[in-house]
Amino acid sequence: MIQTFGHLVALFMILSISAFGGGKVVLPTLQHQAVDKFHWMTNQQFVDLFGISIIDGPSMMVVTLVGLKACLQYGYVIAILGALVATIAMFLPSSILVLIVGRYWDSWKTSPWHESIQRAMMPISTGLILAAAFIIARHSIHTIPTAIMGIIALCLMLFTKLNPVIMIVAAAAISWVFLR
Amino acid sequence: MPVEAPNPDATPQPVSSDTPRVSPEVSLWELVFFFGLIGLTSFGGGLTAYIRRLAVTQKGWLTDEEFFSALAIVQILPGARVVGISIYIGNHLRGLLGAALALLSIMMPPFLLVCFLGLLYFHYGENSDSKALLAGVTAVACGLMASMVFEAGQKSIRGVFDVVMIIVTFLLVRLGHMHVQYVILLLAPIAIWWHRPRPEIKGDDLNQKGSTP
Repeated sequence: MIQTFGHLVALFMILSISAFGGGKVVLPTLQHQAVDKFHWMTNQQFVDLFGISIIDGPSMMVVTLVGLKACLQYGYVIAILGALVATIAMFLPSSILVLIVGRYWDSWKTSPWHESIQRAMMPISTGLILAAAFIIARHSIHTIPTAIMGIIALCLMLFTKLNPVIMIVAAAAISWVFLR
Repeated sequence: MPVEAPNPDATPQPVSSDTPRVSPEVSLWELVFFFGLIGLTSFGGGLTAYIRRLAVTQKGWLTDEEFFSALAIVQILPGARVVGISIYIGNHLRGLLGAALALLSIMMPPFLLVCFLGLLYFHYGENSDSKALLAGVTAVACGLMASMVFEAGQKSIRGVFDVVMIIVTFLLVRLGHMHVQYVILLLAPIAIWWHRPRPEIKGDDLNQKGSTP
């Protein structure tokens, strides 16, 4: 149990300071570690948990669920503790970084390197998000109806301002009625 | 409430017009309530604009300039943008304690909700009803992910080099199974060097060449 906590902390502290461009960019590594290395869950469970996590909160709440599942074998109380440990490990290091940089910001606010870093990091984030999208697609688009729902969601996101939570709830209802 | 006691300046609050702006006094309870509410209603993202409207326009806790300065910091740092902005505002108003409370209160509602849904999933996830539900949820999640690829790509591609970086990153992760921290350690220095600030003279040269017929 202590060992699992240790793995969670070590993993998420590294991912925390690697998440340039938001939590989504660490998904490929998170999937690899949670499924292939530590065997906390199956690929299908990972993608299910990702689906559940985007219903609310900042983009990285799947971390909470990975912590929950990793410790589920020790009972519900420990599982929630695991979720808490994972969430803290994921959000604390990057938060401390915000405070530190915020303090010294004024001195390099005008530095041209700021623009350089931003332009340099964005394509890397994009490549990582692309890799994450592939992982999600492989375990969510199994059938023609799911493919159609995915494409409709993509189009709605790109061309309307519809709240994604409404889409999720609607898709859950539709697939419950038709795919049961 | 011990929070508001050690605060002698609170009473003679002059509504100054021309003096340099001082951050308004905000009680810790108000901070907790503010960020708790945002955490509670943070369904589906798009929160940066929402926070700006509430904190800058409605509450006047910070100026627009301060807000965008914070956004600029948070954008080049790792981590979720909304969380970074919240911490910055908390720190700006009430120091370290404010930052810690902002983080706690924005995270607590989604944490509890997601834990609850997760436990439901592990309890009932195997029956056919929830499998059918989840098929729809994950399909939409995939569509959202794809839309993020488009949005990120649109923002980041401004030249051939950017496209190459996207492809190299993708291949390293997808085929090379390289972990995100090593991808960044490897590629970020190269990309930052490529986009390094060029000396001004070059720009002037180009301008002069362009202007002289």
